[in-house]
Amino acid sequence: MLQQLLFRNQDKKQLIIAIVGSFLGITFLVTSIHYLVKVNEFGRGTEILGPNTLIVQKRVNSGAVLGMARTDFSESEIENMKKEKFISDVKPVLSNNFDVSFQTDDPHVPYFRSDVFIQTVDPAFLDVKSDKWHWKEGDTLVPIILPRDFLVMLNTFMSASGIPQVSDDLAKEIQFKFTIRNNEKKEFIGARIIGFTNEVASILVPQSFMEYGNTHFALGADKKITQIMISGEENEFGLVEQYLTKHGLESKNSQMVVGRLKSIISTLILVILGISVIAVFVSCLVLIQYLQLLMSRNAYEVRTLIRMGYHPKLIIRSFFLYFIKIFGIITFFGFTVFFGFKLILDGVFSDGGLALSTSVSFYGILSLIIAYVLFAVASYQTAKKGVFKEYFS
Amino acid sequence: MKITLKQVMPHPLSSIKHGTESIWGNDVVLEPGKKIMLNAASGKGKSTFTSTVLGLRHDYAGVIAYDGKDVKAFTPDEWTELRKKKLAVVFQDLQLFPSLTVKENLLIKNTLTNCFSEAELISQLDQLGIADKWEQKCGILSMGQQQRVAIIRALAQPYEWLIMDEPFSHLDEVNTQLCMKMIHQRTNDLGAGFVLTSLGDDHQFSFDYTLNL
Repeated sequence: MLQQLLFRNQDKKQLIIAIVGSFLGITFLVTSIHYLVKVNEFGRGTEILGPNTLIVQKRVNSGAVLGMARTDFSESEIENMKKEKFISDVKPVLSNNFDVSFQTDDPHVPYFRSDVFIQTVDPAFLDVKSDKWHWKEGDTLVPIILPRDFLVMLNTFMSASGIPQVSDDLAKEIQFKFTIRNNEKKEFIGARIIGFTNEVASILVPQSFMEYGNTHFALGADKKITQIMISGEENEFGLVEQYLTKHGLESKNSQMVVGRLKSIISTLILVILGISVIAVFVSCLVLIQYLQLLMSRNAYEVRTLIRMGYHPKLIIRSFFLYFIKIFGIITFFGFTVFFGFKLILDGVFSDGGLALSTSVSFYGILSLIIAYVLFAVASYQTAKKGVFKEYFS
Repeated sequence: MKITLKQVMPHPLSSIKHGTESIWGNDVVLEPGKKIMLNAASGKGKSTFTSTVLGLRHDYAGVIAYDGKDVKAFTPDEWTELRKKKLAVVFQDLQLFPSLTVKENLLIKNTLTNCFSEAELISQLDQLGIADKWEQKCGILSMGQQQRVAIIRALAQPYEWLIMDEPFSHLDEVNTQLCMKMIHQRTNDLGAGFVLTSLGDDHQFSFDYTLNL
């Protein structure tokens, strides 16, 4: 009966406008947050290098060929890069300054041997667990990350030898061996693949192994730093790209393309997200305003109920429950429509060859919960203020 | 529950000269269980008395206390309990809900207090000659009929004091007597008291004492 008294004769038109606005806002909010997260997650886990990471070298021009321009990086150049706000980290890529060869060392796999070029990068740039990625003097096995092209080459060799090709997982079981040497001595150390990369052309080894080789088997003067790793800030890839062009630096094209696309799409989604947040905010404001209007129309009823012995809290609860039910229904339908959207969009992306994760983003759900809680708090405070205004009148 | 007024002077009435018999500016005690008539001409503050005693207005000097506790110190929880269990009221403007039916107007109070059954409420309406209005909206009833609904609504709760602000102003003598009889009986059953404000007519009822404004 209390509901009938307080919620009769409403101006439903305004309520419906607020509901439709909130519904659209909520739907776009959860959709944009979901796809913002998914786009930023794109490629993560499939590549051993961390997200937004580039391997950069100086562009080789005629001057460099003639020895008139440097192709290595000085300490000051690296420090200057670190000062840029869109670059979160810069670290040199260290190379071997000793002879090293790589060969199979497994009775089940045919003998294969090649002189190789090994490199090491700061562990912060790698998506590998630290317990797998360590080596110390005396250890018999060096963990390595192999260029995927190397595995393709190995498979080509095996295929040509009439031996079945190996998968990624199988390759990780094969035992390999490094031979490191200088003009005076050499040493054999076992190696095992722990991952693959498309972004680096050389075999990656832990820093400690590189330091060991460069200390004990160095061929001469320290190697120059000709490659560096740059980690760019999220969604600021365009600025990184501009910086590279301006300073005559280059990176692998595929890394640039993915980074550029992610940056553009993220920016677009951010714009949609901004519009959605504004839409949710404005429509919630309209709903709250509607609550204020309803309370103002029911001022006499609220005042009389209090004088009859109804507790103000009971009346506040009636208004509060009514509005959080409405917003709950809006949120539910907003999420349902988002889910329908998601099924369609995931299908479109999948058909286009973009394998985005199909799970519902945690942040999308969190945004709904936050919007709901904020609305609940705002409607409770509005109801409380309105009822107590009548209580004290 | 003893209600005391100590030197109470509503601000809007402070410029008016009040007599030594007036409750304004003097010490007055409303003894529990007494039936009191508050007699005054128009504009002397009968409705102001109702509002201040019920804690609806705080624009006065002096102290109004229930069993010694200043009413200005009561919390919303305490006021809710008082209005539900100890203080019943018939306002001069009745304060019914015109869009609700008589039934709904009575049940919205009775649901809170659970005093009477629907049959008992209809019987009370019948005693006052308006049982046929049970399903009609209060807004379309005459003032006299609305006053009778407001009286029954006020009685649909336990109380120690029933404060009535000119409750019979639109009733003829026969209906006034019917209402007085019902009020008297219910008040006696509860061992309560009442204050009835009037323009001077005692409605042929024997009050315990009379107060003046």
